[in-house]
Amino acid sequence: MPSVLSKICLTIAVSSSLLLAACGSSQQAAGPATVTLLTHDSFVVSQALIDQLKTETGITLKITTAGDAGAMVAGAVLASGAPSADAMFGIDNTLLTKAVDARVFSPYTSKNLDSVIPALQKDTGDGVVTPIDYGDVCINIDDAWFAKNKLAKPTSLDQLVDPAYKDLLVVEDPATSSPGLAFMLATIAKYGDQWTKYWDKLNQNGVKVSGSWTDAYESAFSSTGGTYPLVVSYATSPPAEIVYAENPKPTKPTTSVLTDGCYRQVEFAGVLRGTQNEQAAQQVVDWLLSEGVQADVPLSMFVFPARTNTPLPEVFTKFAAKVPRPSQLPASGVNANLKKWLSEWGQVMGR
Amino acid sequence: MAQRVGAGDGPLNTPAWLRWMWVVPAVFLVALLGVPITTVLQRSFDVGNSFEIAPQLSIAFSAAGQALLSTFLAVCIGLPIAGVLSTYSFKGRALTQAIITVPFVLPTVVIALAFRELLGSILVPGLLLVVIAHTYINLAVIVRIVGATWQQLDPRTVIVARSLGASPFRAFMTVTFPQLRASLASAASVVFIFCFTSLGVVLVLGDSSTRTLESQILRETSLLLDFPTAAITAILQLAMVSFVLLLGARASLKRTAKGAILRFSSLSPWASPSQRRYVLFIATTACLIVLIPLLSLAYGSLHSSQGWTLEWWSSLTSVDSGTTRLGSPLGAIATSFKYALITGVIAGTVGACAAVGVLTHRLGRAVALIALAPLGVSAATLGLGLMLAFGRPPLDLRGSDLLLPIAHSIVAVPLVIAVVLPTLLTTDRRFAIAASSLGASLTRAFLTAYGPILRIVMIAAAGLAACVSLGEFGAASFLTRSGAPTVPVQIIRLLQRPGEQSFGVACALAMVLVLGTIALVAAIDALGNRKRTR
Repeated sequence: MPSVLSKICLTIAVSSSLLLAACGSSQQAAGPATVTLLTHDSFVVSQALIDQLKTETGITLKITTAGDAGAMVAGAVLASGAPSADAMFGIDNTLLTKAVDARVFSPYTSKNLDSVIPALQKDTGDGVVTPIDYGDVCINIDDAWFAKNKLAKPTSLDQLVDPAYKDLLVVEDPATSSPGLAFMLATIAKYGDQWTKYWDKLNQNGVKVSGSWTDAYESAFSSTGGTYPLVVSYATSPPAEIVYAENPKPTKPTTSVLTDGCYRQVEFAGVLRGTQNEQAAQQVVDWLLSEGVQADVPLSMFVFPARTNTPLPEVFTKFAAKVPRPSQLPASGVNANLKKWLSEWGQVMGR
Repeated sequence: MAQRVGAGDGPLNTPAWLRWMWVVPAVFLVALLGVPITTVLQRSFDVGNSFEIAPQLSIAFSAAGQALLSTFLAVCIGLPIAGVLSTYSFKGRALTQAIITVPFVLPTVVIALAFRELLGSILVPGLLLVVIAHTYINLAVIVRIVGATWQQLDPRTVIVARSLGASPFRAFMTVTFPQLRASLASAASVVFIFCFTSLGVVLVLGDSSTRTLESQILRETSLLLDFPTAAITAILQLAMVSFVLLLGARASLKRTAKGAILRFSSLSPWASPSQRRYVLFIATTACLIVLIPLLSLAYGSLHSSQGWTLEWWSSLTSVDSGTTRLGSPLGAIATSFKYALITGVIAGTVGACAAVGVLTHRLGRAVALIALAPLGVSAATLGLGLMLAFGRPPLDLRGSDLLLPIAHSIVAVPLVIAVVLPTLLTTDRRFAIAASSLGASLTRAFLTAYGPILRIVMIAAAGLAACVSLGEFGAASFLTRSGAPTVPVQIIRLLQRPGEQSFGVACALAMVLVLGTIALVAAIDALGNRKRTR
């Protein structure tokens, strides 16, 4: 049956020609004016801004994604010095120290760093990254549920251990979820040495732990069909509820934000050490802090722009929670203690 | 049963070109698995050298218990389904077979979500929910791998046993089961390993008692950035999986007693009324088991807080257009099917070469065994390794459409081998000897004996590989990539943001994946059956 033989030969021929084609195309891609930006899966920016970068500077921006922020940073640390891209965006303050210690970045902060809001200006990992955006992880409240059950909405973390709020809160596992981790850090910032006691009380008061934000918010949260009216999410989730709603869009969200016990996450960009396109990569970091991209950030990624005086869309000014005093722990402290904290949390929560 | 002349264990007397088949998988493994893994392990120990191992051992122990339970259930439920699908021809058989495959192909996170919607109010996350989900996902592995062999068995042997007075159960145990032992061992070890290394399911449906080494590796890699510990955990996982594979291989490579096998059993049309009821019952139950959890996805794609809606389906083309989310969900569908096709070709070729290599060369057996290793390689390790080896200069494959299909192929090759090899081993090599003694050339003799079967199982195996590619998320999520995301990646992205639209469109996309899989598998099966009857 020679047809089998010919088919096998054909398949081999096809696969090897694919391989050759692949090698060919990778050689063509390396032009001097192409900058590869390594980022996480949640990165979004309007195509028009990328086109504008091309017309203004001649730089062609190529975006490669690498899973969530943790996966991206893990890859960057292992490839330190011989990077898979020229610049990186999306590393946050919990991961920054590890990357700086591993010498992932080349020294550069944007020439427009002084346009960044003062509170964030000093966050540069000693001159290697530029803050691009920030957001707060906060508990979200299903307003309709509290109105229906005639219970006052909680206003502080302390209240959540009160029996009146038993079985109402769902949080994410800090070992598997970024907002879950941020919320654990918020409790450490707030309660100091007593933080495990707080979790012990939360546990006794029926806190539910989900493996992921998706599971907590999309299935356990009462606003989306679950039974828990309090969920750890973002300060910008209420405006996102409107933007990503069914048409016609509702005029106001049905959820609000508990502004106590919020944890601030800052996202940075930097030039990767070992890039062949140092200068162009620096221009891309500047571009991320430019007025255009900064104005695009809120509705693309649901975070706040780091640049001062950036106009915010109406849905943000109206419905995004303004957190008066967000918690933050020093990045180096998080780096040194994270493993210990996670195992302490696991012991208290029996996970 | 006494060994027959010519049915021995040594390599077949075959033409030279066939004896070199093992080189194809060997090169594939060294270049695309060996190089990336050694690179990532080496780099991991470069950045640090202190690690701990004690907690990992206890996790490994409890994960093994969970996997054993899941495998047992999957075999118990899967075996009757495999039997019905491979011994009876009935209307809707192809569709049933396609539907069974769906859970295996959907991204685990989507399945976990469907289960939460369905059972979340009854069951709390924990061992039971994880075991149920694992059984659900892996039914397809049992049905397809065991079914591939079962189809080749001569139905007359059972008929003879029954006519001699054996009960259906006794006929199964004495006639059918011994012939299935090889593929059952192969399938069960694969399922065990899937459950042992599970990630998405244990993250969403598990608790502290259901941790796996894989979830531990993820935590050490992308949260603690503790690379040496992650590397040690990855090595431990690989070692344990290799041990299970060796056990499985011992059982499945042992030549099973063979009757005179008629190579193409035409499926017996259901005969007696009781058989008719049995077939109907099993096929219906199987479809219901698979489809009920998926209904919550269908509901999600057609429902909003305002009631029924078609908006999520109609916005498949428009969500996020004009941004770097790289085109519409429709684009993701095109990407996914393109990658699935390439993966089917690569994995089908490599896996089939490995299986043929076992028959034709002493080294083939070792190579085929090593080719199963990706089952134990952590997705994080593989993804990072491929990125380090082929995702940056001097060799950057990201721009091509090849890096992701390569990653998918590495994951799929063990399955292809698991489907093809047991079938080839159960094929009676005396056909080749007979053909050869009748004056056929060595090539001709081999193809006479193995060609037709090879063609059927290769199509089935390549289809399974394509399905793996459609649903793969683990390694893909670690792999730096440019260009349009695949459907699973797109679904996860949508699920990671608030809003009814995000959830609705994610459900619609998941339904596209479900329907696409059913269509793909049905088409492949139809192709196989057409070839069979020719």
